[in-house]
Amino acid sequence: MSGSLAASDLSVRYETPHGSVHALRHVDIEAHPGEVIGIVGESGCGKSTLVTALANLLPANARVDGSIRYNGIDLAKLDARRQRLLRGDEIALVSQDPMTAFNPVLTIGDQLVDFQHHRKDLGRAQKRARIAAMLGRVGIADAELRMDCYPHELSGGMRQRVAIAAALLTDPGLLIADEPTTALDVTMEAQIIHLLRALRSEYNGIIIVVSHNLGVIAELCDRVYVMYAGEVVEGGEVDAIFHDARHPYTQALLACDPARFHERLDRLPTIPGSLPNLTQPPSGCVYAPRCACAFAPCGSVAPPLVKLSASHRARCHAVTP
Amino acid sequence: MSPLLTIDDLSVTFARAGLLSRLVNPFPLPSFNVIDGVTLSLMPGETLGLVGESGSGKTTLARTILGLVRAAAGRIVFEGRDVRTPADFRAMRRRSAMMFQDPVASLSPRLRIGTLLTEPQIIQGLPMPDRRAVAKALLALVGLPASFVDRFPHELSGGQARRVGVARALAMKPHLLLADEPTAGLDVSVQGDVLNLIGDLKRELGFAAMIVTHNLAMIRHVSDRLAIMYLGRLVEAGPTQDVFCAPMHPYTATLIQSEPIPDPRRRSQNPAVTGEIPSVFRRPSGCEFHTRCPIARDRCKTEAPTYRPMGTDRMVRCHFPLQTGGQEREAFSRASANQKGKLT
Ligand SMILES: Nc1ncnc2c1ncn2[C@@H]1O[C@H](COP(=O)(O)OP(=O)(O)OP(=O)(O)O)[C@@H](O)[C@H]1O
Ligand code: SF4
Ligand SMILES: [Mg+2]
Repeated sequence: MSGSLAASDLSVRYETPHGSVHALRHVDIEAHPGEVIGIVGESGCGKSTLVTALANLLPANARVDGSIRYNGIDLAKLDARRQRLLRGDEIALVSQDPMTAFNPVLTIGDQLVDFQHHRKDLGRAQKRARIAAMLGRVGIADAELRMDCYPHELSGGMRQRVAIAAALLTDPGLLIADEPTTALDVTMEAQIIHLLRALRSEYNGIIIVVSHNLGVIAELCDRVYVMYAGEVVEGGEVDAIFHDARHPYTQALLACDPARFHERLDRLPTIPGSLPNLTQPPSGCVYAPRCACAFAPCGSVAPPLVKLSASHRARCHAVTP
Repeated sequence: MSPLLTIDDLSVTFARAGLLSRLVNPFPLPSFNVIDGVTLSLMPGETLGLVGESGSGKTTLARTILGLVRAAAGRIVFEGRDVRTPADFRAMRRRSAMMFQDPVASLSPRLRIGTLLTEPQIIQGLPMPDRRAVAKALLALVGLPASFVDRFPHELSGGQARRVGVARALAMKPHLLLADEPTAGLDVSVQGDVLNLIGDLKRELGFAAMIVTHNLAMIRHVSDRLAIMYLGRLVEAGPTQDVFCAPMHPYTATLIQSEPIPDPRRRSQNPAVTGEIPSVFRRPSGCEFHTRCPIARDRCKTEAPTYRPMGTDRMVRCHFPLQTGGQEREAFSRASANQKGKLT
């Protein structure tokens, strides 16, 4: 089963001894089967919080508001057991460090058999055959041999391939990859990018790729949401985001990426200032304290989400359609 | 001008580690050169980028230079003096600093950020009338809110904790800076701050820096010279711009081609190189890059190329270096374009 996903007015707070951290505020996103969605933004902007909320894996100190609808069903309205079932079967999360996803004392093969516990119709031999096929599909040579390996016997790139294979074995309608290449070397990163690209052509669910790396997002995604300090500040087709960015933060972020410049720069561009304290988010625009375009209303009035085209939106007072 | 630091034919040997692999492989294994015959020098005020993928030995090389790992062979000369004894290394370490690759893991989970940031200076006996103010200034330096002084490491996101580690190392105002992945995990908007800051401090204090990294996009802008490592050996060295504009070693060319481009209109067609990075414990015969090299020929499988000068200021370890207009360069472009569609 694969369906559309829509989060609306989604907010997440973490309760801490120093107050509530408003890690996610009024986020609206949607994703449709067959799409690769990119979530990009800098550290602490709430990317992981957003995708862990979608996967229902937030820590105990998190408080969630708003709705997440999958295939038309409001997940909050399901009872806990059905919610777990639905999310366990439908949503797979591949994390940044695939090592943490595996049990170090079990072989890859045994763990991947366990990943298919929902397939009551299959015997062990059939499950192993599925694994071998899936490992082959993610580009692991000698799949039969590799199934007898322990996680530490695989390279980082191979572990990430196995993690992707593990996720796909559950037949998820939504595959979330949180920084899938961040722990990898550049030649391995290129291979994983190509793997994800090759997979998407056969997979008709939703893929969400979370990354702080603009290059990875540009290589992989159809649509992109740009996050800053817990909010989605801009969203649109990948080409619009990279070639017609309208939000001042998106523009500044793109301008900072050294991969865009081939001539040696004496000083690398930066964004002056720092992230707002998320225990007391600014009352106006979250980006106002650092924004070069800020004017009268920005400090006190929250900016509207301005519709720029069918799919392009930016949350900014200075943007006009 | 004489070099600040010279490394001559340096090798580091590790015995194959791990009980498990020894059980699996009962034959007594000889030791392996994880660093093999590395020769390079660093001029005063210069920034050298040492580039390689994981397992290439970059971190080990940096740690060996500071005496944290023992060299099996070779020579280290710092400010004109041989560095041999533990006392020599201690003297050198007082004039240099290492920014470690994983400061997050070294942050004690029970101490508040403010304490963590000022601890190294206190240990070094530096006077500090107002610890909180120093900590806040350091936080500002790396783009974090001052309120973080009271936070604990686990309350930060991965990237935020990383910045704290960077601030901690920069607080020591080093003379020779050995920075291991100084911006890994940092945001692009902050990466520039840290590198500009290292650049400013360099100009002010005149120290030289060796930056160990796999981040090509970054090192291109901050280093004067580059040395590229593969499996513990240097495969190419030269002025940064020259190496980027006209890489001679196929491995260097591969690295540059693998970088994702932040432009959806210029998506890469296929991975520049396939296959896994081999291990130093099982070095391929001949040229160790031949297992992944798009232009490898028979000679590469059997005969190890030497590390030789090309022109006045470049070095390369390849039988068939890519040269502008040369047939190897053409063969490289053709070969890496041919891998279209292959997954591994
Ligand atoms: N368990 C927690 N308790 C309290 N605050 C938290 C917790 N987890 C995250 N935070 C805070 O919530 C905000 C968002 O964090 P999150 O991990 O979602 O960011 P991110 O965009 O994934 O960052 P990174 O790129 O560094 O992974 C940050 O300010 C972070 O400090
Ligand atoms: S609303 Fe104002 S402060 Fe916010 S991004 Fe737009 S111009 Fe800048
Ligand atoms: Mg994250």
